[in-house]
Amino acid sequence: MMLRKYRLEIISIIAVIGFCALFLYTNSLMAGAEFAGSDTVGSSQIAEMTGKAEEDYQPLISQWVPPSGEIESALFALQAAIGGLIVGWVFGYWKGQKKNG
Amino acid sequence: MHIMEGFLPLQWAVFWWVVALPCLGYGIYQLKKVLEADREALPLLGVVGGFIFILSSLKLPSVTGSCSHPTGTGLSAVCFGPWITSVVCAIVLLFQSLFLAHGGLSTLGANLVPMGIVGPLMGWGIYRLLRNTTVNMYLTVFLAVAFADFFTYVTTSLELALAYPAEVGGFVSSLVLFLGIFALTQVPLAIIEGIILTLVFKYIVALKPDILVRLKVFPEEKIRAAQREA
Repeated sequence: MMLRKYRLEIISIIAVIGFCALFLYTNSLMAGAEFAGSDTVGSSQIAEMTGKAEEDYQPLISQWVPPSGEIESALFALQAAIGGLIVGWVFGYWKGQKKNG
Repeated sequence: MHIMEGFLPLQWAVFWWVVALPCLGYGIYQLKKVLEADREALPLLGVVGGFIFILSSLKLPSVTGSCSHPTGTGLSAVCFGPWITSVVCAIVLLFQSLFLAHGGLSTLGANLVPMGIVGPLMGWGIYRLLRNTTVNMYLTVFLAVAFADFFTYVTTSLELALAYPAEVGGFVSSLVLFLGIFALTQVPLAIIEGIILTLVFKYIVALKPDILVRLKVFPEEKIRAAQREA
């Protein structure tokens, strides 16, 4: 009964553990793996195909670039936090609604 | 799946903007209509949109030795359809191009087409196909989410292959290359995203099944049966 009720939770936990294990396995197999973003890999691929250096791809519309990786992670965390706030707020709102009616 | 600013020739950047804009416009129109009809749809939009914000900010490692983001769009496509999803995606992509230099303003159209339109459209298509069948509701949501995620990256590969056909082998060999970079990396991420968002859907069913019934996300019997179990 418990198993049936929580089967999605159980599947999720197993999937997350499996995902981590897959990462550790990949990481141990590929000594040189950089785990760069696929966006970056894609851009290098374009540069390689066209024979034009990556630095030569100038923005068509000029763009602000985060000055460092740290600042970039901060802004990514901010993005996730905005999403998390909204999700948490709504689930709380629904929970309250359910309790009152 | 972001195509970086400057990495798409001007004519392709313009072309994808032209494809994206009418879809976005239709999405805004639909969004207005849905919210006017039912104000209680707004919190649901907040949840599914919030997950697009969260998941598309996480860069996860994959089997190819590179990292990529899930998209989070499938659940929104199931609840609100692909056009409204494109509006939320446009906001996320604008944030990322202005503050993170992930994708740019000229390539925003080209990034919105995969993440906001084609991916959600594929996920929504699977969902529509299975919605009224006996296939389990959660399995339907899982497939829709995983498809939306995966086909986002297939579409990005297509866009790049169109813009940069290989000298030898042309479009096809270029497509294979880009699929290897984007789509292959995405497989495990699409699966894990599908599982996580299905769990989120379960909690929506448990807390606020009425809104799912009113928006006719699934037939009422299916939602009520799942609610009793949750």
